[in-house]
Amino acid sequence: MVTPAAFRDDYGIDARVLHEVVEIDLKSRRVLVRSLEEHKEWWEAFDHLMIATGAVPILPAVPGSDARGVYGLHSLQSGITVRNVVDTEKPKKAVVIGGGYIGLEMAEALIMRDLDVSLVEQASQVMNTLDPDMGALVSDALMHVGVELFREETYKGIEVSDGRVKAVVTNHRTIPADIVILGLGVRPNTELAGRAGISLGVRDAIKVNDRMQTASPGVWAAGDCAESFHLVSRRHVHIALGTIANKQGRVAGINLGGRYATFPGVVGTAVSKICAIEVARTGLQEREITSLGLEYVVGRIESTTRASYYPHAGEITVKALAEKGSGKLLGAQIVGVEGAAKRIDIFATALHAGFTVEDMINLDLSYAPPYSGVWDPVHLAVRRAAAALTGRL
Amino acid sequence: MAKERLVVIGGDAAGMSAAAQAKRLKPDLEVVAFEKGPHTSYSA
Repeated sequence: MVTPAAFRDDYGIDARVLHEVVEIDLKSRRVLVRSLEEHKEWWEAFDHLMIATGAVPILPAVPGSDARGVYGLHSLQSGITVRNVVDTEKPKKAVVIGGGYIGLEMAEALIMRDLDVSLVEQASQVMNTLDPDMGALVSDALMHVGVELFREETYKGIEVSDGRVKAVVTNHRTIPADIVILGLGVRPNTELAGRAGISLGVRDAIKVNDRMQTASPGVWAAGDCAESFHLVSRRHVHIALGTIANKQGRVAGINLGGRYATFPGVVGTAVSKICAIEVARTGLQEREITSLGLEYVVGRIESTTRASYYPHAGEITVKALAEKGSGKLLGAQIVGVEGAAKRIDIFATALHAGFTVEDMINLDLSYAPPYSGVWDPVHLAVRRAAAALTGRL
Repeated sequence: MAKERLVVIGGDAAGMSAAAQAKRLKPDLEVVAFEKGPHTSYSA
């Protein structure tokens, strides 16, 4: 974290917190700023405008979502708020709605604070950025740490008493709750940009080119409010992750600083940890490959994070997906214990390079028994995929 | 002549990365960032 004072003193940037921009006037090149402390508004002129308004939690239009005790998480402040509530109000029963990254990480955090945690997930498994067979491993891990998991259940609303949450209602049951975490994903926060006439694209994220320019001259956008180009599907996507935000922001800043930089795109890499289990994914999952009309083979292996005979070797499952015919790597997923997840970066790099699984078999990856077998689990998965391509299963 | 001016809306990863890069490369640029929340953030 860098404070506004540090931005002013160390960077020469005038950063003003608790100041909201409420209107963009492209014609007069100015923005209407509102001070949230002093309750006044004024216009500020610009030559260049950088829009980095982020994303906001999706709040379903069901009864009770605005009750006290119901929280979405999307900012440092919202995390601090939930921690303070856990410290001071000492809730006992927590219900997490949604089994994505935010939902799972919050379930872990609340379990560690000794709350009874239930999680409601609409799909057959949590973590729907993984294929269901890999998501099932994460579901098992959640139940293993004591989370009560309700799969294939739809969140219908919240029972409220005196303005406070009392229970979560699904299509199958009512779950008592002192605190509710909404982890139903985020959407780009682009209402302000849209009202100003700046072009929006997929899921209402701001359309940008490789240099992070919007369609409006002198107006730039980056981060969770902007589109990215997916290098594997060759389509525009909206993925709200800090990894992308930092890189897009850097590219926009270099261009704004008078040089030339481009951001070619993303491959959809993400990693997470739920108690002892590490989860990672990159590229396309089976559902996405099918929707593009492509055909694929699967190379899925179970191995160990270190040489099998080495102390503290633990389970790792690696799944690689390759295109039929070309043999090109399309995506990969990893679930396992400590040491498993960062192996996804090999696959992510291979996707950037456009490698086939055959190319990956001969990658000169590091080996010593504390780190892997002589064939890394990544090698084993791409070997399995390559075998499936040639029918030598 | 008035200084060239960059206005940044949003003081988190993308906004402050852009602000810091732009200012570093073009020290004469006046950079103002507005953040509606109580925090700014940046990882160099």
